[in-house]
Amino acid sequence: MEIVVCMKRVPETGDAEIAVDSTGRDIVRDRLTYDINESDNYALEEAVLLKEKFGGTVTLVSMGPPETDETLRMGLAKGGDVAVRLWDHRFARSDGHATAFVLAKAIREMEFDLVLTGCIATDDGRTQVGVTIAALLGIPHATYVMKVDIEDGIATVQSELEGGLIAVNRMKTPALFTIQTGINEPRYPSLISIKKATAKEIRTLTLDDLGLEASSAGEEGSKTKIVKLTPPPVGKRAEILEGAPEVVSARLTEIFKEKGMI
Amino acid sequence: MRDIFVLAEHRRGELRDITIEMLTKGRELAECCGVPLTAVLLGHGVDRFAEKLASYADTVVLIDHPQLENFNSETYQAALSPLLEDRQPFLTLIGHTAFGIDVAPRLSAQSNIPLATDCIDIRCEDDRVFAVRQIYGGKLNAEVSYENAPQYLATIRPASFPVREYGLKGEIVRTDCPALKTPEREFLEYVEAPAGEVDITQADVIVAVGRGIKEKETLPLVEELAKSLGGVLACSRPIVDAGWLPKDRQVGSSGTIVAINKYPNAPVFNEADYGIVGDLFKVLPTLKEKIAELKSG
Amino acid sequence: MGGVITPNLEIRDAIVEKGGLEAYKCYQCGKCMSLCPWFHIETVEFPVYRIPQSVRLGIATSSEDKEEIAREIEEMFRCIGCEACTSRCPLGVSVPNIVRAIRRLLVEYGAFPSELKAIVSKIYNVGNPLGEPRERRTDWTEGYDVPIFRPEMEFLYFSCCLPAYDSRGREIAHATVTIFKNAGLSFGILPDESCCCESIRRVGAEKVFQEVAKANVDAFIRSGVRKIVTTSPHCYSTFRREYVEFGVDFEVLHQTQLFSLLLDDNRLRPRKPLPKRVVYHDPCTLGRQNGVYDEPRHILRSIPELELIEIPNFSREHSLCCGAGGGGLWLDWPMEERISNVRINQVLETEAEVLAVACPYCLQMFEDTAKSMNLSLEVKDVAELLAASL
Repeated sequence: MEIVVCMKRVPETGDAEIAVDSTGRDIVRDRLTYDINESDNYALEEAVLLKEKFGGTVTLVSMGPPETDETLRMGLAKGGDVAVRLWDHRFARSDGHATAFVLAKAIREMEFDLVLTGCIATDDGRTQVGVTIAALLGIPHATYVMKVDIEDGIATVQSELEGGLIAVNRMKTPALFTIQTGINEPRYPSLISIKKATAKEIRTLTLDDLGLEASSAGEEGSKTKIVKLTPPPVGKRAEILEGAPEVVSARLTEIFKEKGMI
Repeated sequence: MRDIFVLAEHRRGELRDITIEMLTKGRELAECCGVPLTAVLLGHGVDRFAEKLASYADTVVLIDHPQLENFNSETYQAALSPLLEDRQPFLTLIGHTAFGIDVAPRLSAQSNIPLATDCIDIRCEDDRVFAVRQIYGGKLNAEVSYENAPQYLATIRPASFPVREYGLKGEIVRTDCPALKTPEREFLEYVEAPAGEVDITQADVIVAVGRGIKEKETLPLVEELAKSLGGVLACSRPIVDAGWLPKDRQVGSSGTIVAINKYPNAPVFNEADYGIVGDLFKVLPTLKEKIAELKSG
Repeated sequence: MGGVITPNLEIRDAIVEKGGLEAYKCYQCGKCMSLCPWFHIETVEFPVYRIPQSVRLGIATSSEDKEEIAREIEEMFRCIGCEACTSRCPLGVSVPNIVRAIRRLLVEYGAFPSELKAIVSKIYNVGNPLGEPRERRTDWTEGYDVPIFRPEMEFLYFSCCLPAYDSRGREIAHATVTIFKNAGLSFGILPDESCCCESIRRVGAEKVFQEVAKANVDAFIRSGVRKIVTTSPHCYSTFRREYVEFGVDFEVLHQTQLFSLLLDDNRLRPRKPLPKRVVYHDPCTLGRQNGVYDEPRHILRSIPELELIEIPNFSREHSLCCGAGGGGLWLDWPMEERISNVRINQVLETEAEVLAVACPYCLQMFEDTAKSMNLSLEVKDVAELLAASL
């Protein structure tokens, strides 16, 4: 089974302080550590599990500047076989549509039974690229996938809806699934696979290699644009109760009483 | 300027809350721009929703077809594209939900309509639309503009807009469904999450834990507190992913939220109604005591 | 197992390249096993002496099985860098350094526990493992009138991140500056500093260490720092022995060394009695790794009516680690696998009322352990005991 996995290199911002940069349209990236986007990691693991079951190759694709090689190598160490990075300075500041457009162009040239992506990127949270790629490739898709079963070219997948409800859908491959976290347990790479990954070559494709017009990629090819970034309104913050445990507990208990919870 | 469209979302015989939230906001936008508001209802045997939609919208476009009975990204898109092509609404709102995000990008690509997703706010200025999204897990807001286009599409985050009644009586227009191909994706069935002994959706009080508790061994302590409040133990997604609690304990974000965290800067305080900066292990026992005192005294 | 082990020389070379050269010196005598803290936990097999051997054969983490690999990698993060093995080794082979070389490879590929990823990320981003804002690094000085360092001052006081931000840790810093002022010491603090990064260097996050440490060095030089006194032995050790890699040569003292000197000079006169049985725990980084054993004891003995107790057999260079080093403070091993529990039990056997430490990590580790074991044992930093006696 030939599987393509789309991966994104994202900054770790969960515990970090982030500041808006001087352009007002991006964040200051100096002191941020980067990693594979969380749900992409699950997508990769799912691809590797399927490869272990059915044989075949896992091809990693990522759109990003040279630093992205780091992330692709992590993916190669975790079971990816081949990695392709798409980059051109003209790809910069792509929105969800432009990103999907470039990825789809590259993937279209590949042989695949499945395309797996994460369901959401932890940086921009767009949740858009996977389904857009499917539409551009003209293949069926399923989102928030929690289980994949494949037999004789037919995929039966479980998609997670709100409230833990599952929708079961079936389609022929080739198909695209956006993968939800928790579908599997992502593996650690071994030193052996790390060593192998260090030696692998990562193909880089530019705008011209992909045969794209500059107008269809990057900021030019985007349908939406970030005008500015602002901190969220302060009003959302919690009312902080201060003092020793005795004091805050007493106050909180009062609040529960006022709200009729006790 | 032309209409504002809102796609109604329903599932298993119930109209979902996001629909009303979008209609409330849609109505506000429509009145602001001086244009009609149209609700779009796709399905099979869903007439009973139309009246509710009509209390918000000037027009309800009702497309009833057996192939639309269950949500399917391809059939929904195939029904919507010709409608949007024909009616050219200025702005179409779809819920940023499992269904919504399954169809909106497809609709955007097939009909070539720019899309902004997971919007927590949206406004119209002359002929342009601006949306606000959250990025980096809510640490920053991004104001987003669209390239100039005849139509705009946005998915709206649930619980972003308050609801109100309008009590209108819009016109319900049964509209023919365009010819639908058999979709490549076939819906088979819904499956409920395995029922645990606890239904957190029925609980009045939920005490939820996140990654901060660090060890599984802490759960019984928190569960005791939850019980003393007449509530249940629940958790955030990472706890479910780690297998410490079953899926049915995963919590959303509605209701009164009290957060306890050692660090004053913890992002959870942006989501909570009340916050305590302190050590969970010092506060919980004291809180339990106080509640017990209040109950007995 | 059975069968012949196939060496993987490429892996061996990769580890050696990252700093694992010492592995060649080991002749497998096994003496290191006798002091490794993990040896005290029955359910854990952490074969210290096998590590150099496995590096030489290139089989450190050798499995192809997903579950087994996860276990092997998690094992690599058990080493708490106490260097008990190093102190026993006839050739002074440092297993923590060899483990660090392996970790460097793993960290580069993101193959390390997520708790440690978070710590590295926080230190890189805001200069402390707690994720607290940089601007608040000197908030702990409120009410204590601590001057900002100027070149004409004698010492830079480097508080360490826990004393700077953690509510319990701050009590150590408060005690320390109280002592300094009492002695009329010339000192100041620098708002513009970050974590010393000792622990993340041990974790294998070498790139981040280099960048953040360099920034510290630049800040110190810019501010005209010549002498540094630290609360934490980790900061002390890393400034003294590792920051020299940046071509600097600050004079570094741990605060117990400085207090001891001040006592000898009669600039500190502990008067108030502390009539308690106090047992002193030698922090690994202060004692075994840097040879500072006597000064903390000198301080404790100078406090009137304090009865100083030693932990029999496991004192001074034989001190058993609290378990917080090498990233251990942030990893949560299950209750039955806590080295700190073993150490606390040793402490309890002495029937001491107070456990005196000289390291903020030891303090946090032992206090958490005492709490989870429901003990009435008091845990105090030497500085706190001294300050209370002045």
